[in-house]
Amino acid sequence: MTNSIHDVDVLLVEDNPDDAGLVIRELKKINLGNSLYHLSDGAEALDFIFGRGEFSERKVEDKPKVILLDLKMPKVDGLEVLRTIRDDDRTKLIPVVVMTSSREEQDIIRSYSLGVNAYVVKPVGFDNFSKAVAELGMFWILVNQSPR
Amino acid sequence: MLLKDTPIRHKLMRAILLTSSAVLLITCSFYFAYEFFTFRNTSIRQLSILGEIIATNSTAAMAFDSREDANEILSALKAEPHIVAAILYDKEGNPFSNYPLSAKTTTVLPKSDFEERYSFEESYLVGFQPVIQGNKRLGTLYLKSDMGAMYERIRLYGIMAVIVTIISFLVAYFLSKNLQKSISKPILALAEISQAIAKRNDYSVRATKLGEDEIGLLTDAFNQMLEQIHTQNQEIQLFNKNLELKIKERTYELEIANKELEAFSYSVSHDLRAPLRSIDGYSRILIEDYGDKIDDEGKRTLQIIVKNALKMGYLIDDLLAFSRLGKQNVTKILLDMNAIAQRVTEEMVAQNYKTSEVTIEPLLSTKGDSSMLRQVMTNLISNALKYSTKKEKPVITIGSYHENDYDIFYVKDNGAGFDMKYYDKLFGVFQRLHSPSEFEGTGVGLALVHRIITKHGGKVWAEGKVNEGATFYFSLPVF
Amino acid sequence: MITRRYIFTLFLLIGIVFLSPAQLSGPSQEYQVKAVFLFNFAQFVEWSPSTFPETETPMVIGVLGEDPFGTYLDETVHGEKINNHALIVQRYKKVEDVKKCHILFINYKKKDQIKQALSALKVKDILTVSDASNFAQLGGVIGFFTEEGKIRIRVNLEVAKNSELSISSKLLRVAEIVKSENN
Repeated sequence: MTNSIHDVDVLLVEDNPDDAGLVIRELKKINLGNSLYHLSDGAEALDFIFGRGEFSERKVEDKPKVILLDLKMPKVDGLEVLRTIRDDDRTKLIPVVVMTSSREEQDIIRSYSLGVNAYVVKPVGFDNFSKAVAELGMFWILVNQSPR
Repeated sequence: MLLKDTPIRHKLMRAILLTSSAVLLITCSFYFAYEFFTFRNTSIRQLSILGEIIATNSTAAMAFDSREDANEILSALKAEPHIVAAILYDKEGNPFSNYPLSAKTTTVLPKSDFEERYSFEESYLVGFQPVIQGNKRLGTLYLKSDMGAMYERIRLYGIMAVIVTIISFLVAYFLSKNLQKSISKPILALAEISQAIAKRNDYSVRATKLGEDEIGLLTDAFNQMLEQIHTQNQEIQLFNKNLELKIKERTYELEIANKELEAFSYSVSHDLRAPLRSIDGYSRILIEDYGDKIDDEGKRTLQIIVKNALKMGYLIDDLLAFSRLGKQNVTKILLDMNAIAQRVTEEMVAQNYKTSEVTIEPLLSTKGDSSMLRQVMTNLISNALKYSTKKEKPVITIGSYHENDYDIFYVKDNGAGFDMKYYDKLFGVFQRLHSPSEFEGTGVGLALVHRIITKHGGKVWAEGKVNEGATFYFSLPVF
Repeated sequence: MITRRYIFTLFLLIGIVFLSPAQLSGPSQEYQVKAVFLFNFAQFVEWSPSTFPETETPMVIGVLGEDPFGTYLDETVHGEKINNHALIVQRYKKVEDVKKCHILFINYKKKDQIKQALSALKVKDILTVSDASNFAQLGGVIGFFTEEGKIRIRVNLEVAKNSELSISSKLLRVAEIVKSENN
C-alpha cells in the first residue's frame, strides 16, 4: 500500500487480502482509491488511529472519514478495535462500518451496542458486494457530514 | 361400624366376652335343666315312696273297712307340708278317706286312675297309688303335692344364673380389657409405627419388639423390611446422586460441544464465505478486465465458476440458518396467519411467479413464534410456487382446520409432486427429490420447516403424487 | 251309683231292724262283710310253717256249726290264693269233726258252748274267729263286734301267740286288743 498515512479518508481494516483487493477495486471505481489506507489486523489499526508505534508520525486528530472494519481478525479483533475507538473521547465520533461475513445476530447486536454506525454483511456474490461497497463509500465519504 | 372395621382390641374383647358368656350360659342352662329334671324325678320318687308307704299302711284299714284308721294314717301327711290333698278310694273307686278331713269329696275315681301313675298337672304333682295286699287290690291312694317349692327353687336358680352371668361378664370384661392388651398392644404399636412411616416417609424408625411370640416375629420381619427399604432407599438416593452428577457432567460436555459447534458454524459462516467471495469476485474481475482476451468458451467456463460459488454461498447461508434454529427459543404469541400468508405470497408472487394463482382461505389464528412461522410459510409457499412453475396454470391453495387440540395448516399445489416411496427423505437436510437442473434448491428448506414445527410441539407431514401436486401440512398445538 | 248306695243302706237298716240273722234265707249283708273279713285275715296273719307241710297244702277256712255265709264264703275265696296256697272252705258240724284248718269260724253264740269248743279243739295253730260276744276275751283269737253299725274286730294277742300265729301290726291297728278273761 503506497498511499500516504496522512489525510486518509477511508481506513480499511481487513485481514483477508483478497477481500481487501475487491473493496479497494470498488472504491477506486468511485475515485476513493487515493485517500484509502489498508491495514490487515486490529493492532495495526489501533496504532494507526492513535498514532502509535509504526504510525507515531500520525496524530490522533487526523481522523479518517470512515473506518471499514472486519470483525474476524488475528490478534485484536474488530469488536475490540471498535470498543477502543468508542472508549476514547478523541476517536469516539469516527464513523465505523462493520463489514463482515458473519450474519450471527450476536455479532450484530454487540456491534451496535458498541456504537457501530453501520453493519454490512459481505455477500458472496461479487455484484452485490461491489454494489454495497460503492454505496458505502459514496455515503460515508461524499454524502455524510461527520462532526469535526 | 362393621365388625371387620372395629379396632383389634374391641375384636379381642368381643371374642373373649362372647366365648366366656356362651360357656357360662351353656353351663348354667345345663345345670338348670339338670336341676329341673333331677328335682322333678326326685319329687316323683319321693311322692311315690310316700304313696307306697301310705298305701301299704292303709291296707288293713281298707281291708277291714276302718275309716278311722284310714283317716289317722292320712293325717300323718301333716308332716309333709307340700302334700295339699290325699284321698283313699275303695276297690270300686268310691272315696273312703280323705286328707285334710275337711276337704270331703264324693267324686268317684275313674277306673283309668286305678293304675300306679305319677304326673305333673299344672303346678302340682299328682300320684295314683294302688293299695294292694298280697295280690289283691284293695283301693287307690290319690296324692296331690304342691310343686310351688320346686318352682320356687327353679326361680332361685334362674336368678342366681342371671346374677352369676352378669358378675362373670363383668369380671370377664375387666379381665379381658387387661388381658387383650398383651395381644393388641404390640399390634397397635406396630400399626402406629407403620402409620408414622407412611406419614413421614422416615424408614429409619424401628418397631419395639415386646415378646418372642408370632407378633414378635412379625415385628422382626417388619423391622427387617424397614431395614431393606432403608438401605434400598439409600442406594436409590446414591444412584440418583450419581445420576445427577452424570447428567451435570453430560450437560456440561454437551454445552461445551454446543459452544464448539457454535464456534464451528461461526467459522464456517466467516471463513467458508471469504474464499467463495474471492472466487466469484476475481472471476468477474477476469471477465471485466480481460474479457477481450478470453474467448466465449472461456467466458462460459468463468460463468459456471461464478454460479457454483454463489450456490455454495446459498448452501452455507441455509445451513447456518438451520443450525441457528437449534439455539433459538420459541416465543409464542398469537399470530394472524392470514396476514403472514398474504405478505409472504405477495412478496414472492411479485418477484418470480406472476402466472401462479394463489388462493388463501380464511386461516385460523394460532400461537407460535412470529419469525419462525413466517419462515415456515415462506419455505412452504416458495416450494409450492417453485415446483408448480412447469404447470400451465399453477394453482396453490393455503388453508387450515382444527382437529384434536391442534391447528392444522396446509399448502397445496398442483405441481411436480413427489413419489410417496421417498417420503422418508422429504424432510432430511440436503435431501432432495429433484435434481438441481429440474428445480433449484439447497435441500434445507423442508428440514428447516420440520425443525421449527417440531420445536413448536407440532408435526409436519405431506401427501404427494408425481406430476399431480403435493400438499404439505403442519400442526400446532392449541395449548 | 249314689242312689244305689242309699237304697242299699236303707235295705240294710230295714234288715237290721226287722230281721234277725237266723231268719235270713241267704247270707245277710253282715255275713257278706264277715266273709270278706275272713278272707282278709288270711292276708294279715302268718301261720307257722308247720301248718303248710307242702307248698300245695291249701289254706283251709273252716266253719263250725251252722254256716251263716251260705255260698258267699265260697264265692269270696274262689280262685284266690295266699302265698301260693289255694283257699278252700270246710264245714264242720261238731268240734270233733274239726280237722286241720287255718281259720275257723265258730258259729256258736253261747259262752259255755264256745268255751267248750275252744278247749276241745284238738288241732292247734288255728285262727279262731267268731261273732259271739266277748269271743276274744273267752280265748278266741279274733272276735267280731258291731259298733255304730260297723263291724269291728277284737284280737286276743295272747291266744294268737300261743297258737303260733303272727298277726300283722296293720291288722292290729284297726283292731281292739283284749286279754283273756278267766271267769
